[in-house]
Amino acid sequence: MIEIQNVSKWFGNFRVLENVSETIENGQVVVICGPSGAGKSMLCKCLNGLEPFQEGDIVVDGISLNDPSTNLIKLRQKMGMVFQRFELYPHMKILENITIAPIKVKKMSQADADKKAYKLLERVGIPEQAKKYPGNLSGGQQQRVAIARALAMEPEIMLFDEPTSALDPEMIKEVLDVMIDLAKSGMTMVVVTHEMGFAREVADEIIFMEKGKIIERGTDVSFFKNPKSERTKEFLDKILLV
Amino acid sequence: MGTFDWRVIYDNFPFLMQGLLTTVELAVIGITGGLLLGVLVGMARLSSRKIIYYPATLFVNFFRSLPLLLVIFWFYFLVPLLAGRPMGDFFSASVAFIIFEASYFAEIIRAGIQSISKEQMQAGYSTGFTYGQTMRYIIVPQALRNMVPSLLTQAVVVFQDTSLAYVIGVKEFLRSASIVDAREMRSLELYAFIGVIYFVFCFTMSKMSKRLEAKKGFAK
Repeated sequence: MIEIQNVSKWFGNFRVLENVSETIENGQVVVICGPSGAGKSMLCKCLNGLEPFQEGDIVVDGISLNDPSTNLIKLRQKMGMVFQRFELYPHMKILENITIAPIKVKKMSQADADKKAYKLLERVGIPEQAKKYPGNLSGGQQQRVAIARALAMEPEIMLFDEPTSALDPEMIKEVLDVMIDLAKSGMTMVVVTHEMGFAREVADEIIFMEKGKIIERGTDVSFFKNPKSERTKEFLDKILLV
Repeated sequence: MGTFDWRVIYDNFPFLMQGLLTTVELAVIGITGGLLLGVLVGMARLSSRKIIYYPATLFVNFFRSLPLLLVIFWFYFLVPLLAGRPMGDFFSASVAFIIFEASYFAEIIRAGIQSISKEQMQAGYSTGFTYGQTMRYIIVPQALRNMVPSLLTQAVVVFQDTSLAYVIGVKEFLRSASIVDAREMRSLELYAFIGVIYFVFCFTMSKMSKRLEAKKGFAK
């Protein structure tokens, strides 16, 4: 369970997050949407301590990120993360991209890590790419590898920071399919995305952010059918045009 | 001036080669020492701790703003003073080269590490790596590939720079030629010969760096 309690974050005088509060139960899928610059990615990166915040607290399974004695390294092992631009390691083959963390962090044997990596590649549908370098894969394939890499650490929570916004349109579906599968398997997920089809299908809650604040939240039905704020309505009209 | 007489090279060949050896030694010391110190200073330049960052930055900016010849002179007078006894011109020159070149290597290393995006660092952290592990497995291997051409170019520059040790009496390649010249009065032949040798050394090293540059292009 993740409890976000009144979190605020500043860059100098500019407030990028303002009193954000949210509770994410185990097994829940929460989608965060909103215009660019709303602080969605920042919130996502605060959840696993990649970005510090100045006020409030985030508590993951009872562990406070604010507590100086909290071991962020340990905490991050429970949380996988998928980035907008994949961020695979370009100097390593696909297989190594997936096995390096289990081997170096969890001290897994090479053979076990390889076996696990192949299983995960099977799961995301590209086992035949194992021996290639990231640069030789399409964006959609790279993002699926990135998901496999995060899953290799057996996280309890998965964070997705705009996982499909750097992809060509025809590759979006292959990545979303993997994410939908993951959601249906019961993974706790926080997903920053504008893919409303995805949100409709698996989201337990949808949050709309603007200017660092959560201005609307709802279950998928309530969110899409009757948004309370004018701003949300306007935003949905724009992105649901297609 | 008369005709060319290349016998002067043949007659003094062992002496000239001794000079070349000194040049190579000085270059190797300057490159390895400068690189080792440069790695430390370059890393320090990336530190978020002011007490580490500022001295390193001062060091780099200071030595990069001075002519090498001046630095060689300084250390020629400074080293014996610090050591409390004469240390020899070769030793002084070595110290000058290590310190001076370190300031250049440090910038190459800093830039190489900064050329890797912040998100790669975050990707490493997000899978549970420590700072050290992320640097070791993710950042440094990629940065090194970006740095190799610049490091090799700098190594060529160090090799050429060693001729400046001439001024404090180090019997490197250039000085050995001028010693022979003072006796034999065959300036053209001698300086043409060492020019060719400098050229062969440096050109080969540049070519190697070009080839490495072409090879490093791993798909992004």
